[in-house]
Amino acid sequence: MKVRKSYLLLASVTVWILLGRLLNGTHTLQIATYENTAFTSYIGEKALDFRGNRTESTAFIYFFNPIRGAIDGFVQIIRNLIAVPAQNSVIPIIGWLGVVAIVAFAVYATSQWRTALLAVSLLLACGALGMWQFTMDSIAMTLAAVLLSLAIGIPLGIWAGLSDRVLKIFTPFLDLAQILPTLVYMAPIALVFMIGAASATIATMIYSIPIAIRITSHAIRNLNQAPVEAAESMGSTQKQKLTKVQIPMAKQMIVLGINQTVMAAVSFVVIAALIGAPGLGKPVIEALIIRNVGQGFVAGFAVVFLAILLDRSTSAAAKRQDSFIPETEKQIKTKRITLIVAGILTIVAVFMSRTMLWAAVWPKEVTIAPQVAKVTNDATAWILENLTIFTVGFKDLISYAFLNPLETQLAASPWYVTVAMIVALALIIGGTRIAILSFVLSMAIVLSGLWYEAMLTLTQTIVGCLLTMIIGLALGIWTGRSDRAERALRPFLDAGQTLPAFVYLVPMLGLFGPTRFTAIATGIVYSIPVVVKIVCEGIRAVPHSLIEAATAAGSTTRQIITKVQLPAAKKTMLLATNQGLIYVLAVVVIGGFVGAGGLGYLVIAGNSKPELQGKGLIAGVAILLLGVIFDRIMQAGARRSS
Amino acid sequence: MSSASPMISVRNLWKVFGNNPEKVIGSPDALLTRTELRAKTGNTIAVRDVSFDVAPGEVFVVMGLSGSGKSTLVRCMTRLIEPTQGQLQFEGEDILKVDNARLRELRKTRFSMVFQHFGLLPHRKVIDNIAYSLEINGVKKDARHARANEVIELVGLQGYANAYPEQLSGGMQQRVGLARALAVDPQVLFLDEPFSALDPLIRRDMQQEVIRLHHELGKTMVFITHDLSEAVKVGDRIAIMRDGAIVQIGTPEDLVANPADEYVANFVRDIAKSHVLTLKHLARKAEPGDATDGPELAANTIIRDAAQVILQSHKPVRVNDNGAALGIVSSEDVLRLISGGA
Repeated sequence: MKVRKSYLLLASVTVWILLGRLLNGTHTLQIATYENTAFTSYIGEKALDFRGNRTESTAFIYFFNPIRGAIDGFVQIIRNLIAVPAQNSVIPIIGWLGVVAIVAFAVYATSQWRTALLAVSLLLACGALGMWQFTMDSIAMTLAAVLLSLAIGIPLGIWAGLSDRVLKIFTPFLDLAQILPTLVYMAPIALVFMIGAASATIATMIYSIPIAIRITSHAIRNLNQAPVEAAESMGSTQKQKLTKVQIPMAKQMIVLGINQTVMAAVSFVVIAALIGAPGLGKPVIEALIIRNVGQGFVAGFAVVFLAILLDRSTSAAAKRQDSFIPETEKQIKTKRITLIVAGILTIVAVFMSRTMLWAAVWPKEVTIAPQVAKVTNDATAWILENLTIFTVGFKDLISYAFLNPLETQLAASPWYVTVAMIVALALIIGGTRIAILSFVLSMAIVLSGLWYEAMLTLTQTIVGCLLTMIIGLALGIWTGRSDRAERALRPFLDAGQTLPAFVYLVPMLGLFGPTRFTAIATGIVYSIPVVVKIVCEGIRAVPHSLIEAATAAGSTTRQIITKVQLPAAKKTMLLATNQGLIYVLAVVVIGGFVGAGGLGYLVIAGNSKPELQGKGLIAGVAILLLGVIFDRIMQAGARRSS
Repeated sequence: MSSASPMISVRNLWKVFGNNPEKVIGSPDALLTRTELRAKTGNTIAVRDVSFDVAPGEVFVVMGLSGSGKSTLVRCMTRLIEPTQGQLQFEGEDILKVDNARLRELRKTRFSMVFQHFGLLPHRKVIDNIAYSLEINGVKKDARHARANEVIELVGLQGYANAYPEQLSGGMQQRVGLARALAVDPQVLFLDEPFSALDPLIRRDMQQEVIRLHHELGKTMVFITHDLSEAVKVGDRIAIMRDGAIVQIGTPEDLVANPADEYVANFVRDIAKSHVLTLKHLARKAEPGDATDGPELAANTIIRDAAQVILQSHKPVRVNDNGAALGIVSSEDVLRLISGGA
């Protein structure tokens, strides 16, 4: 059965290649970037009408506009507090010294002084990079989005934790949110809520609320049930059970969920600069557009510092309590006294930052930005000059060996040949239902008029995923088999997952220039950590007794890996591949505007060029359709293999 | 054995898990084995047509191996699990018909439960764990702490009021569980394998503790266990469960002397008979040559307790049941029983 399946796959690929060669260059559905089809211009007009309706339609007047107004107002209040001056004033309500003091105090109060020291250093570094106001804007945006996300996500998460039916209703949306490439929903949201802080906040919330819901409901569901049952046996009402037992016990896990929500929000807020989010995303995008790697690094470092700052301060709060035993009276007293002293100092600092200019506005002279820009520019130049063999060589190798042939095969073959191939793959791997779904979705892409661009994106995604899987599997197997490797790689994997993927574009642009390879390389760097983690867990989940038995039978290490561990972890491998694909896709499309082209470029161009708006919106949908096809086929494959 | 008005009365109680559980009861499917039924309809019968009474002040033990349905049964009795069918009365009140408010009322004031894994709230001090049910009863802080301190003393936890559960050993934690159950002064204590998670020495202490509390407070108890020696030690009567059904109900002596079937006989085989049976069981007609003027003992004396008197006496003892002479017991009779004969 297994053999027949792989023969079938091989046969259909061969037929596909032959047909592709034979009919090369015909029916490719390629149109020029600035050309519209009837459909895309129709959508463009509709979008324009929709936008024009903003002051007339009741949906806008009574629903969307008030939401936009409220969120804009909310964000503006926070921005006025720390980032930008309010209307009739020249400085924000709290100047830099005050912000530094408040952050130090807050982190000290929730964790320990060492974390507070780290947070302060990172903040000051952001200031020294000349990014103070951008950093404050990013913090304000993140804060606004996180507060709103938690206000919605935690109650919904608790609800989903208590009720199976609610969880069942939520699950498809939560799953969809996980595979939805971030770029996809920015444009439609901007269409409804206009380019600006409100759209950026809402898009960020769509990204981070599912995380809050998932972790909260997981926290409630995985409690030790004995105390919960005991509380019930003593006649607690549902509400008493929830407030006196379940929530206090789940608190720690929920705080972890807050940490994850914050990290999701901060990484999205940076990308959301594409739809007008104020903050650090702006200088990053500017630098990417003008291909100024040095400037990109300056802003990129600030992003990384901000991410580390937020991660450390929120995860320290989550980790601090590893038992339910509170501190002793004496410890509490000491802490209270130091807190009061620190609080007074903070108030003094805030007061100073409101009254003295040096403490209010970050002094321009204190900056290392030019030096950082110069150093990174020099370093990039040096690498390009001396290590060409590695950068250009690697790029060319991948381009000639994989990218070009695959792109020819996918994009230059007639559309019906490739559609047939996709359906055949779906049929062999996933079965009839998945095949029908793939057919419908592929045809939707064909009919959208963006088939050619979709094939470019598909090429980059497949090559990116292939490389990710080669590296990810190797590292995953290594970390799965060796505790030392796991310990050594763990910090990098964690950092890779916390940092906003967007900033990886900066060094990649420096190394590979404005090409599609930059997007692919960014996608690989972004998706490797998650693949390694999944593979590592899969390998570790293989029962020890199996390996012991294989060892006792005299297997070599290679035999154990290939004959025991990999087959036993097959399902996890497929899931890792699926995650890898989805992650690569999400980043490859963002790479659209550093030269990767494809659907991502259209989405981003659609945001800024009115004549491409229709095309951009459809491109977003096409990305989603590609993602769903991948996801369904791989999931079905994983299901069948178990 | 049960008195005229039982504290708890269970009649034809069923609990079937799975879809359409009512359909199974009364159908031929109910006679299938568990595996067969699960394969056929997907249902599992956890409690099968169970009936018994618990008298006021009695310690009623439900004994069975894991999967026999005993934990489900005790949860059905407080409706932590809704029974599928049957009657359940507490002091004449039909528990299965009461609404949620009344059920909570009963749980708050009349029933208390002690759990195998303690079920203590990890984020509360011992005293606030014990005061929890008073708290949800709306008792003011001072009053509930005063009551909690009383119970803390009762179970021997003095000095631990401000500790947190994870600072205590398993045995101590279960004392907190007991104290919590006693705090509301309930009529019935349900104990679900309360000592199974404890190591043997602590378990013995805790069994003594339960016996002592029972003597002091006279609470009615429903005690679930998988350990027959524990059942024999604490129980006035024991119900033996197998595959959801009760195989036999009786005093420890009944079970040891007259096991209902092979299954029960297998269980009681390892019980030292001299620890359970009374002289009534050994008494026989005096034969020619037996002296009939030995010491006199009551018929309900446990053989172990009588052994010393009998073995030291040169003459067989006379067994007396409320004034009526039942017969005699000689040293040989006792030795034969202890060494494994009948």
